[in-house]
Amino acid sequence: MKNVKYIVILLILMVTTGLMNVSAQDSIDFGGYVRNYTGILFNNLQDGTSDNDFASVQNTFDLKADYSGDRADLHAEGYVYADGDTTLSAGIRELYFDLYSDSLDLRIGKQQIIWGKGDGVFITDVVSPKDMSKFIIPDFDEIRLGVTALKADYYLGNFALEGVWIPVFTPNILPAQDSLWAVSMDFPTGVEPSISTSLPSTTLENSEGFAKVSYMGSAFDFELMGGTMFDDAPTGHVTPVNLASTPKLVDVTKEYQRLLMGGGSFSTEIAGVVMKGEGAYYSGKAFNMSPDALLADLGSGGDGTIEKDAIHYMAGADYVIAGVNLGVQFIQEYILDYDSKINNDEFNSTMTFLTAKKFMDDSLELKFFGYYGLNNEDALLRFSAGYSVTEGMLLTAGVDIFIGDTGYFGQYDANDLGYIQAKYSF
Amino acid sequence: MKELKRITLSVFLITCTTVLVSAQSITGLDVMKNVYNRPTGPAITSEMTMTLTNSRGSTRERTIRQYLKKYGDDEKKIMFFTSPADVKNTSFMDWSYGDSGKDDDMWIYLPALKKVKRISSENKSDYFMGSDFTYDDLGDRKPEDDTHRIIGEETINGKDCYVIESTPKDKNSMYSKTITWVVKNSWVGTKKEFYDEDGDLLKTLTIHSVDKVNGYWVILDMEMENVQKNHTTRLQFKDVQIGKSINDNFFTERQMKKGVR
Repeated sequence: MKNVKYIVILLILMVTTGLMNVSAQDSIDFGGYVRNYTGILFNNLQDGTSDNDFASVQNTFDLKADYSGDRADLHAEGYVYADGDTTLSAGIRELYFDLYSDSLDLRIGKQQIIWGKGDGVFITDVVSPKDMSKFIIPDFDEIRLGVTALKADYYLGNFALEGVWIPVFTPNILPAQDSLWAVSMDFPTGVEPSISTSLPSTTLENSEGFAKVSYMGSAFDFELMGGTMFDDAPTGHVTPVNLASTPKLVDVTKEYQRLLMGGGSFSTEIAGVVMKGEGAYYSGKAFNMSPDALLADLGSGGDGTIEKDAIHYMAGADYVIAGVNLGVQFIQEYILDYDSKINNDEFNSTMTFLTAKKFMDDSLELKFFGYYGLNNEDALLRFSAGYSVTEGMLLTAGVDIFIGDTGYFGQYDANDLGYIQAKYSF
Repeated sequence: MKELKRITLSVFLITCTTVLVSAQSITGLDVMKNVYNRPTGPAITSEMTMTLTNSRGSTRERTIRQYLKKYGDDEKKIMFFTSPADVKNTSFMDWSYGDSGKDDDMWIYLPALKKVKRISSENKSDYFMGSDFTYDDLGDRKPEDDTHRIIGEETINGKDCYVIESTPKDKNSMYSKTITWVVKNSWVGTKKEFYDEDGDLLKTLTIHSVDKVNGYWVILDMEMENVQKNHTTRLQFKDVQIGKSINDNFFTERQMKKGVR
């Protein structure tokens, strides 16, 4: 309710202030797209089950409106998703107001804030939370959620200083428990959890703040950033209810851990190869314990979580050869002062691979993006072919293949899917 | 009478010598340096329409707003794609350097990712946005990168031209040679042929329209035809402004994200 009030107030402010600046030269620019996405689960086809052959049929209408004034802009982007024949959902992707001066920009409202140099990974890109309800299958501009924030950018030559204040915490959207992409916490055999979620209250001390210094130059680009924030993904804090009963009853409260983050990223070109790196240090990150360690921890008054510092980093390279874009990244998460009771591995390593080439006046693009998890030897392989039929009309066909039994990607081994998508941009 | 003959002979010899010296004093490199160094103004803005026509006659059109500013031998350029809708708000920035040993710096902003990415300058022989122009074709190729010689003089559309054959010094170049028709005095190229690695004609660039803007010669309409693929790309420029002040802060990540304003 508070969010609704906030948005209404913001809307009134934006419209009022915007109208005050309207001049004859100002204009509103509309754009957006209409899209049909039809995905088919290969597993269901093989099983011959009829009801769930189509994993996803979704029609989308996305509308953007931009009002450009002399020193001010308004931007609004809304969407309507029609999933199957029954579910209709609508929302605001972004709604913000820009104020410009010679060296200072202010952006107020719901906005996506993107940091970092990595592709397809979130290391320092921690300001905007993510919609993980369909894992990482949707486009990234749809995975990223807008946050209601005040953002200020001060520019000095090729340097930029950015400050972000987020008064209201927005968490990641997690997959529904009946979803193909549901992720469940690991519990020991014989334990029945009752799960609830606790969001931080909307107080000043619970607001989030971020700062970033960035530089773009001939030799290299870099970003240095830090933040006091909540982890956008929750940790399950366990309270025993009756451990003597059968099954053992526990309450699990998903809480969002307050933590500090500091990091940086860079990119430079060496002999035609774009080298890039990104790293972040998280202080006070909470981890869940493994099922084997949980009951003993509860018995000694613990809540099934352990707080540790962690490092998350990436090193990568992009190259173009004969018109083929190639990219490779090595990503690693490292939990410092590791405790073997933690459910996560001490080191978790992933590699990504990109190959893309355009043909026929750039109207046809063949693309492959793959993730390979080194710990569990699991993978997500994404192949697509996109053909621009006419100006603005794009047809895409692709397959997403999950490999492995466990791990971040392997857990979805049954979710291999193929899809076709028609998208008209206007 | 003898004196008159002597004077006449002297004038004839001096004239012949002057003509010979004059003809020999300009080399292919000189001509191409004149083209390269032709004043183009300290800053240029324009709107470019790029029309691609394939062998079946179907066309695709893209419009780009571009800004260029010179810093001595270096220059910075930023291009904003304004249509079609699926590439709208994409921007591309290129910083190029007079020092032939220094590669360009290039970045692209993709609105869907909301991120500016540094991209490799090794793709200069790749085709720009599916057109018949490579990134290299669209830039100012440095005269020192090729060996030049004058192979003739011709008149095209009533204009006297030098015909210059240029052979890349880089053996890995995608062209074995180019032949350029350069209008005398104005030092504007009016036609150019590009030959592939086998020495066969690959592309022909024809300049359809050149005009003076604020005292500077500017190409307003040109067409590249890939004769091997029967594919053409036409670039037409309008709203060309030279000398309009562009702030140095324009060529930054801030502007790439902000777009045309």
